[in-house]
Amino acid sequence: MAVEALWSNKLRSSLTMLGIIIGIGSVISLTSIGQGIQKSTEDSIRALGTDVLQVMAGSAESGGISQGQGSVTTLTWEDAQAIAQQAPSATIVSAYLQRAAQLVYGENNTSTTVYGTDLSYPDARNTFPQQGRFFTQEELDTSAAVVVIAPTVQKNLFPDSVNPVGESLRIQGEIYDVIGVMEAKGSQGPLDRDDVVYIPLTSMSARLIGNNALMGISVNGIYVKGEDESQLDAVTFQVENILRLRHDIETPEDDDFRVTNQADILETLSTVLDLLTLLIVAIASISLVVGGIGIANIMLVSVVERTREIGIRKALGATERDILSQFLTESVVVSVVGGCIGIVVGVGVTYVAAIALSFPFVISGSAIAIGVGLSTSVGLVAGVIPARNAARLDPIIALRSD
Amino acid sequence: MITMENITKHYQLGEMEVPILNGIDVQIDAGEYVSIMGASGSGKSTLMNIMGCLDRASSGTYHLAGRELTTLNPDELAYIRNQHIGFVFQQFNLLPRATALENVMLPMVYAGVPKAERPLRAAAALTRVGLGDRLSNRPSQLSGGQQQRVAIARALVNQPAILLADEPTGALDTHTSHEVMALFNELHEQDITVVIITHEPDIAAQTQRNIRIQDGLIVPHE
Repeated sequence: MAVEALWSNKLRSSLTMLGIIIGIGSVISLTSIGQGIQKSTEDSIRALGTDVLQVMAGSAESGGISQGQGSVTTLTWEDAQAIAQQAPSATIVSAYLQRAAQLVYGENNTSTTVYGTDLSYPDARNTFPQQGRFFTQEELDTSAAVVVIAPTVQKNLFPDSVNPVGESLRIQGEIYDVIGVMEAKGSQGPLDRDDVVYIPLTSMSARLIGNNALMGISVNGIYVKGEDESQLDAVTFQVENILRLRHDIETPEDDDFRVTNQADILETLSTVLDLLTLLIVAIASISLVVGGIGIANIMLVSVVERTREIGIRKALGATERDILSQFLTESVVVSVVGGCIGIVVGVGVTYVAAIALSFPFVISGSAIAIGVGLSTSVGLVAGVIPARNAARLDPIIALRSD
Repeated sequence: MITMENITKHYQLGEMEVPILNGIDVQIDAGEYVSIMGASGSGKSTLMNIMGCLDRASSGTYHLAGRELTTLNPDELAYIRNQHIGFVFQQFNLLPRATALENVMLPMVYAGVPKAERPLRAAAALTRVGLGDRLSNRPSQLSGGQQQRVAIARALVNQPAILLADEPTGALDTHTSHEVMALFNELHEQDITVVIITHEPDIAAQTQRNIRIQDGLIVPHE
């Protein structure tokens, strides 16, 4: 009975549904996209290793003004070596310098980030050569002109037909031999972790930056890996104490370095992303409310139009409850059908977005359950007033109307 | 069947109290064929609304089929309309989007008749009024006389105590009026209680008894 009335007003019913379709569609897709991005961000942070902590040069604050990480070069390679020798819970220690540089191969050139580092770097960062090799102790000791490139650099500089290992390229004009290609690590947000090259820390300091060896080698940061995640607190404690001793620092407020770990970053980021998702969903819910108002509006019009029908039904014995449930059913049907279409649309949008933005396609059952639940309750709430109006119509007046 | 004693009805129009019925006593027995006549504004429509349980009297008592109805609530009145009263209106009042069969099934929906039984009983009622071959036609595909016969089938389908017809021939031409009246006469012969409200003397003349209303009172027989 209710469905027939809706079917006879197809255009009106489908336009009314559109509000719910858009509302539920955006709730579903935004929740799912939020979850997908969250998962991909967490995965990429986890891929960096949650058992590793990072020591950055520079204080968190200097005279009340926050400094960019690594803006002050107070850390040295000797600090890294001291941590490796003196911190009992540290298993792997790797120092690095980083700098943007221009790379040239034949006619091709590209701007990328050059990392000067040591032999522990692959273990510390869980990234290994897929072709060729990383540099050796001898190459590190002798400031050898060798480079290991990552896949994006390979793609930008070398034609597909050329095997880069064994070729030479220029970094800021100096010739380096390519000895290896790293495995792909993917992107972390907008950051392409494959758009980098690695050279020995000594080569970086001497050739690219032009420090002379007597000054020691300053570094931007040090990675320290513990036995596992549970050791991180111990490692942090040991690293802080070693560095404070070496840097003559008496109180933690004067620290000229900062220790962070991926687990903490992951936790902070998850909290922020959760909050963002919630906010987006709250905004999307507004369109659902608007959709509900649309249903209520159309139902009110429909009750007025069908006053005579209501009068006939009442004369034939329909109770207030019969009329109430007839109109409530209509509004719930509109809303739930709209909600189901909205779920399909939302899943579709999520799928397209997942491919376009390359994050994992996640559809949670809870999102769909929320979609169905929300659309049913929107229909009920929107239908209550029109249905009550219909049920309370006086049959004599209703029968007389046209 | 119907006993009305001292029924009054007045409407409140702002401060003013407008009297419509001023104390009506009516007795209609089972199987009677009665017409109620009166000029427009005489109160005959209000009397029919009260008789049909669409409205309640301001005072007085009304017994239908042995039940006192003046104190019933709207849902109980809906039940009485459904079970004991069959309405036939001047404007037919069929649902335009439903077929003849669906229109006739409607009272059974509210009576809670089992789903499988409804089409059988509706078809039987339509056959009884001579429309056994028009079950799936919509009102717009039927003539005025046929539409009124569908309405009569709908009024009969729950086997009511009385058939209450309000100007049943008012919207019909003379020829179809005769057809519809012939149907009422036939139903009367089958011992159905029929009450027709009309202002046409020749319709009233076909019934057994004529009740005349003027200014909210029954005009005594001279």
